[in-house]
Amino acid sequence: MPTAPTLALRGVSKNFGMTAALTDMTLSLFPGEVHAIVGENGAGKSTMIKIMTGIHQPSSGVLEIDGAPVSLNGSKAARLRGVAAIYQEPMVFPDLDVTENIFISATSGLFLNRPAMRRAARDLIARIGMTLDVDRIASGLTLAEQQAVEIARALSQDVRVLIMDEPTASLSAHEATELRRIARHLANDGVSVVYISHRLEEVFELADRVSVIRDGRHISTKLVGETDPQTMIAEMVGREVGNYFTKMPSTATTETLLSVHGLSVDGVFEDISFDIKRGEIVAMAGLIGARRTDVGLALFGMLKPTAGAITYKGQPLKITSSREAIDAGIAYVSEDRRKLGLAMALPIRWNISLATLDKFLSPLGLINTGAEIATAWGYKQKLNIRTPNTEIVVGNLSGGNQQKVMLAKWLNMAPDLLIVDEPTRGIDVGAKAEVHALIRAFVAAGGAALVISSDLPEVLAMGDRILVMREGRQMAILNHDAASQQTIMALATGQKDAA
Amino acid sequence: MSRLQSWEGFLLVCLIVIFGFNAVLTPEFLGIGNQINLFQLSIEKIILALVMTFIIINAEIDLSIGSMMGLSACSFGYLLQLGTPAPLAILICLGVGIAGGFLNGWFVARLGLPSLVVTLATLIGFRGLARVMVEDRGIGDFPEWFDALGQQGLIGPIPFALIAFVVLFVLLYVLLERSGFGRKTYVIGSNRDVADFAGIDTARHKIILFTMSGTAAAFAGLLYAARVGAVRGDVAAGFELDVITIVLLGGVSIFGGKGTLVGTLLSILIVLNLRNGMALLNITGHIQTGVIGLLLIASVVIPRLKLAKPRAIKPEATA
Repeated sequence: MPTAPTLALRGVSKNFGMTAALTDMTLSLFPGEVHAIVGENGAGKSTMIKIMTGIHQPSSGVLEIDGAPVSLNGSKAARLRGVAAIYQEPMVFPDLDVTENIFISATSGLFLNRPAMRRAARDLIARIGMTLDVDRIASGLTLAEQQAVEIARALSQDVRVLIMDEPTASLSAHEATELRRIARHLANDGVSVVYISHRLEEVFELADRVSVIRDGRHISTKLVGETDPQTMIAEMVGREVGNYFTKMPSTATTETLLSVHGLSVDGVFEDISFDIKRGEIVAMAGLIGARRTDVGLALFGMLKPTAGAITYKGQPLKITSSREAIDAGIAYVSEDRRKLGLAMALPIRWNISLATLDKFLSPLGLINTGAEIATAWGYKQKLNIRTPNTEIVVGNLSGGNQQKVMLAKWLNMAPDLLIVDEPTRGIDVGAKAEVHALIRAFVAAGGAALVISSDLPEVLAMGDRILVMREGRQMAILNHDAASQQTIMALATGQKDAA
Repeated sequence: MSRLQSWEGFLLVCLIVIFGFNAVLTPEFLGIGNQINLFQLSIEKIILALVMTFIIINAEIDLSIGSMMGLSACSFGYLLQLGTPAPLAILICLGVGIAGGFLNGWFVARLGLPSLVVTLATLIGFRGLARVMVEDRGIGDFPEWFDALGQQGLIGPIPFALIAFVVLFVLLYVLLERSGFGRKTYVIGSNRDVADFAGIDTARHKIILFTMSGTAAAFAGLLYAARVGAVRGDVAAGFELDVITIVLLGGVSIFGGKGTLVGTLLSILIVLNLRNGMALLNITGHIQTGVIGLLLIASVVIPRLKLAKPRAIKPEATA
């Protein structure tokens, strides 16, 4: 292996406020290698990419290119030094053709030499070993072809480090093979390819070396021949902090509330079967792209199943809208507070009464403000929402308090089934424990909860049973006693088949 | 009511200042006749501004109101020419408003088209229909009682239009600020997806709002016909921009979710008194329009200056 790394991180740390996203990260990328990086959701991969591509600056530590320290201010500076990234969702301009997309940032000057651009585009496409008409409009290309265009764009700027972030997550098996071929082709050409993937099998097929990161720290870097999937999974999940959430005892009764059989939505997920009893929490584990949220949306009437049956309270459940789901006693707490969960510019009180506004209306349709204030204040006390009053705009609260407002909104409808998607994303540890206790108290009082979470300690702390999904398929449903971070991660990454 | 109190307070101060200036500079300004006249001459825009407040808070826009006014007024003239009894013609015109507003709402809410485009299209379409009906003529000779409704006092010196305005304002105020319907108007305008997830039928809500807007425009068209006593194809052309100006000046956010009917009312009074005061001082209409434009820019800039202060928001932990 050549001596000087093309790009290296030396003891790089990155803090956002009080949160450490990266700690003392060290990594070297050599020309001609495909370097895979694996880690759980939230391990710090995205932050690392953003530092390499100049979007974030390190809080401490050094970024080196060709052995010399550099500071990259913005993605343009990174591209000028030959560092580029492509993502799961290709960033192409849908109305421009392939040539224009490749040379989008090279179009300085008033006049374009179009014939020369087309020739150059054709050469670049050929260089990555593809055949693609350079006059085609980008919106008509497949995802894989759009990614090829992005790669060609990077090549046109003399890329030396190409970071591919989950590039195959949205691709078909055939397209993924094609993309891996391109990645290998580029490495043979002398480019350093950084390959980030949740699919361990493709890591072993493609990469020369693999680095594991966890909790923002570098854990190991090995030649693929020196490691195996089991070791890697152990390295990905084995956190020193241990299970900082303790599992509360199950409160499951014998009464089945919800029973799902062979539920499918074409092209999204298929053949999901499980049931939830009153008093029980079923946790849904899996990696990003496992389609867990879509299962939740289907149960809430926001996504139409194409096959399968849902039995709820002993009756077949047929719902086609959120209104019908709410009327049936099903609540869905979204993972996306900002877009789907809360009206950020409106007061706490308005948000809490939102899903149950009818409860506060007089026969004339006027709002009983007194009752509304009393309800909002009651939740403020009960859920310990830290705010002087309930007239404050939700957007001014911290993440944890916003999460509690969202829970209050749905708890106020007194649901039977509570679907909670990523209940504690982006909130601090103290608030996490409070949210966990709230959900447990809810089921202990006779409700049932489906908790979707990417946080393994959370899954283990909450789930009386744990359903593991991978790429739209149900891998297993485990009893809490039979589940560990290793088994869940092995199922979620496809290293282990359904038990 | 605590929301945006500062902006409404600011408008109130502006209004008092303008009022004071006018009273000092031109003694006739304070006469009851002048004040009523002032209202009556702009009554159509004033009524439309009240409904437009709902539409913009809902994060939509209705550009077709001026054309709908024209269509309603021209339909009225056309129907009378055909020999239709006036009361029936009035009902038909209101029906046209309901149908046109529903059409706008249906395209926006059910087909998901941007209201800017839909109502721009109906702005052209409604106006076209109006012109087809009356061609290049003016149609007048309305029944005496109809003209009187628009031109004379109904109770003492107070004309029908002013009474209609007061009644409408109270009803719409209660609807927007006190009812579940009003709450939904704000929430949908603030974040439609959140409202959808909370089980609110947002499409139905939007259709109702646009239907309200079309109906109000048709009603305004009839008021115009009564006030002027004749209609032409270009009745109320360009009114939509004046109406939107009033609403935005009243502190309603063009992005939806924010604003109050009181703000709109204050804005109406400011624009009326400012124009009236300038007119009494023999300042031309063009300059008046320029001043209103400056005011609108100020209404956008001033709240931003306030927001420029650092806000105490706790940073969220980033994963």
